[in-house]
Amino acid sequence: MTRRQILALLAVVGICIALYLTLYKYGVIGVLSCSIGSCETVNTSQWSMLFGIPIAGWGLGAYAALLVLAMVGSTEAREGSVAIARMLVALAGFSVLFSGWLTYLELFVIHAICIWCVTSAVLWVVIFTLCLADLRAVSRASS
Amino acid sequence: MADKGVDGGRGRRPGVVKQQRGNSPQRFYYVLALVVVVGGLFIVRAARQPKVRANVTTAPITPTQAEGYLMGNPNAPVQILEFADFECPACGNFSVITEPDVRSRIVNAGLASYRFFDFPLPMHKNTMAASNAAACAADQGKFWEMHDQLFRNQPEWNTEATDSPKKIFLGYAKGLGINTDTWEKCFDDQTHQPRIMANQAEGIRRKVQSTPTFVIGTRQIPGGMSYDVFKAYVDSAAKEAPAAPKPDTTTKKATPQ
Repeated sequence: MTRRQILALLAVVGICIALYLTLYKYGVIGVLSCSIGSCETVNTSQWSMLFGIPIAGWGLGAYAALLVLAMVGSTEAREGSVAIARMLVALAGFSVLFSGWLTYLELFVIHAICIWCVTSAVLWVVIFTLCLADLRAVSRASS
Repeated sequence: MADKGVDGGRGRRPGVVKQQRGNSPQRFYYVLALVVVVGGLFIVRAARQPKVRANVTTAPITPTQAEGYLMGNPNAPVQILEFADFECPACGNFSVITEPDVRSRIVNAGLASYRFFDFPLPMHKNTMAASNAAACAADQGKFWEMHDQLFRNQPEWNTEATDSPKKIFLGYAKGLGINTDTWEKCFDDQTHQPRIMANQAEGIRRKVQSTPTFVIGTRQIPGGMSYDVFKAYVDSAAKEAPAAPKPDTTTKKATPQ
């Protein structure tokens, strides 16, 4: 499996997590499965919305964009595309920073941890690492 | 997961990038389909589960029911609201360690009134039953006595200790001299569920994010605190009196002192 295919798989995992939290926010899912931490506390806090859209909804968009980029970048025509590699790094880099800020809020402002949010943050770190490796590989190969 | 496709410089032609060789697209699509199916099933299963726990009724909530449980003179210069979960350990600590002093030196001294609002957190399976137990005790004028029993004895009835806390609550009711037949009927019928939900809704409206959270005058303070810090907030609020707000006025976040 190529790196970008792995990225696509991780994007689908992220989409599932973000969709789960978004559906909770909109009341479709009543109780979050949360064996560790205080998911409800975090997901009902004032920081759980941004510009009228749940944070998880923004995450859903970011994971969907990652999936599209990774899938397009996995096609034979574009598997060596440096432009796609750069876009992947930019998207993942921004998402890592955003997730880091959210984790800071959980730890030091809300004083509650949502295991799904932490999982998503870790997922973005893994994705970012893979994106960097991908950019390095395609840059080296195309030079 | 190692990327064997980048050929490490051996036989590489400039401008041609093959990330993988011998890569099977089918395998990728099988794994992708598997992840989609597993994730989809998880979400569908979560969406089909009841939106509230079995012991919770979906009685309508009317804002006027969010009055909490009052202690002290309602016309005292400072109003204190507490949003708490009976099963939350931090709430228990505050109740056992700090609250006795708050009652004797602030509420009983007429400096402030004190209202308790249920803020049951969904991950605490027995907290709603505890709120019901206290609400039914309130019918017989024993809310605060039951409140104290519940917080003092949390380890006896919390989620880790039991799946059916009713017997334990019944024991507390007996010990407090409550008419247990009336109490039991009230508890089983969940008579005060709307009141509990209204108290919780009031907390949500005020953006309560953790328990316990206190509203002292115009300040909203999350987390337990020592008596001295609590008293400092009350003194600060007293200086603002008589502009001290009624329970339903908007609050602002506290700055730590």
